[in-house]
Amino acid sequence: MVDQLPQWAALAPVLALAATGLLLLLIDAIKPSARSNTSMAVTSALGALVSLALTVWFVVAGTGHEDTGGAIYLFADAIKVDTMALFFTAIFASVTALVVVAAHDYFHDHESPAEFYSLVLFSATGMALLAVANSLAVVFVALEMVSLPSYALVGFLKKNRGSVEASLKYFLVGAVSSAIFVFGISLVYAATGSLILSDVAEGIETVDGLAGVAGAGIVMMIGGVAFKTASVPFHFWAPEAYEGAPAPVSAYLSSASKAAGFVVAFRVFTEAFPIGASISAGIDWVLAFGILAVVTMTLGNFAAAVQENVKRMLAYSSVGHAGYALIGLAAISAGGSSNDAVMGAAMAHLLVYGFMNTGAFLFVAMAERWGVGRTFADYAGLAKRAPIACVAMAVFMFSLAGLPPFAGFFSKYFLFMGAIDNGFVWLAAVGAINSVISLYYYSRIVKAMFLDDPSSESALDAVDVRPTGLYGAVIFAAVATVLLLPGFGPVIETAEAAAAALF
Amino acid sequence: MVPVEWYLILASAVFCIGLFGVLTRRDALYFLMSVELMMNAANINLVAFALYYGDLTGQVFALFVIALAAAEVAIGIGIILVLYRNFGETDVTVPTEMRW
Repeated sequence: MVDQLPQWAALAPVLALAATGLLLLLIDAIKPSARSNTSMAVTSALGALVSLALTVWFVVAGTGHEDTGGAIYLFADAIKVDTMALFFTAIFASVTALVVVAAHDYFHDHESPAEFYSLVLFSATGMALLAVANSLAVVFVALEMVSLPSYALVGFLKKNRGSVEASLKYFLVGAVSSAIFVFGISLVYAATGSLILSDVAEGIETVDGLAGVAGAGIVMMIGGVAFKTASVPFHFWAPEAYEGAPAPVSAYLSSASKAAGFVVAFRVFTEAFPIGASISAGIDWVLAFGILAVVTMTLGNFAAAVQENVKRMLAYSSVGHAGYALIGLAAISAGGSSNDAVMGAAMAHLLVYGFMNTGAFLFVAMAERWGVGRTFADYAGLAKRAPIACVAMAVFMFSLAGLPPFAGFFSKYFLFMGAIDNGFVWLAAVGAINSVISLYYYSRIVKAMFLDDPSSESALDAVDVRPTGLYGAVIFAAVATVLLLPGFGPVIETAEAAAAALF
Repeated sequence: MVPVEWYLILASAVFCIGLFGVLTRRDALYFLMSVELMMNAANINLVAFALYYGDLTGQVFALFVIALAAAEVAIGIGIILVLYRNFGETDVTVPTEMRW
């Protein structure tokens, strides 16, 4: 049935998100006075689910897969729809759906929540566009389309000083890193004379005299990617932005926006700067990513271990997970036999991470909605008042730590095994040691919820409200984290097939 | 005709001036101006090399970059306005609500 559709229909998941964003603006413009929180949330959730359904349908039908005619190119090769693009679009659409449902309760007493939903949907459109970008021009435009709504979302509580400060810091780092990124693109264009990824790759092979210019450009583009994925050296904004932002926005940024950074890194670096040609031109970006991966994992996990604030701990843990996913780029080599296995595992890890990390941040959103406080000590004894939500949170924590019966274990296992098979034992070793460290701070929160007693009798009286949307989103994320356990086979197969198409 | 390497040097100089401004200025508005300089350095490269290679890709992309820079400034001014309302200043070193 899919093959009867016109070529441009391959962009349907992106178009569904964009149309929903515009529809939300239209509803808000026609009926600005109506109390529209619920209708907005329902509309945006439906839009995200339609996009997700289209994406899953395309993956199952094999759109852009080699067996059904290969990747679909549109707009003079500027857009390329393949399995990897669809895989990542599925992550973006799922996280968006979870976040808008949760935001319905989080912003229940906000004056004008309507803009929130359209900003989230526009940002998601940018992410989906980033996944299909096949030209550095589209990459930059889509990257800005993700970033600009995000700055506004972080500062959405405009009378809250923390939210405003977070938004300012995110914007300052973001503006500088996107300027560095575009300067990097201009240098790559200067060295190769093209912006289409495959033409850039040809230019890199014959770069000769301009190898230094191309190298500087690639290093600057790594900087832009590091910002989007919250990796060292552009990770400073992450703890501030995630702590100050409204919790649903933190969930969105740390899961979907991070995955968006990785999809652009995976595509641009494997397709535009092929490893063999880059290394013979003296540009060893694999080594650069290796160093970044090690530093990012270690810094994220050690910083997370000393936090007292739960949201800040999750922020640093998200920096640590960026380090794990970077292994997907750092543990590949020219002609390596397990290149597709390790990059596919990194993609699968980002999918699992999308559910477990979104869920964890949405639990924090629920705690903020209750008003129980922000530190580990404030969460003491929560399990007695809200057992189901706390079990869900425990699932997220153990899955993030990578304990065996959860989906997070499998994605990390495949990632580290792929790295070892490809001869990068040291990366796998650093990753494994870091996972052990991370168990300390993840289990701290489980201990606080289930074993500790509340600081006072009345400390948890606020936990009387039962925000349905938030509860539903948290529990759905937990169920997805558990169901990815039996469902991990198809996920990793799709991811590896998607990665194999890149090499 | 001016050799194309000179444009690279000019663009790098403009980029470095912008980066210097970003690192030293404390006022958010000067910060925005410095970022604009960095983006325009990229535009110089794109336009110069579009001429050098004789294709229009670089010039068209430069137009995109100009439009996006304008959009970024619009968001930035909005954030700085909210900053001013909450903190009474546009100095980026003043907001320190969060510390590790």
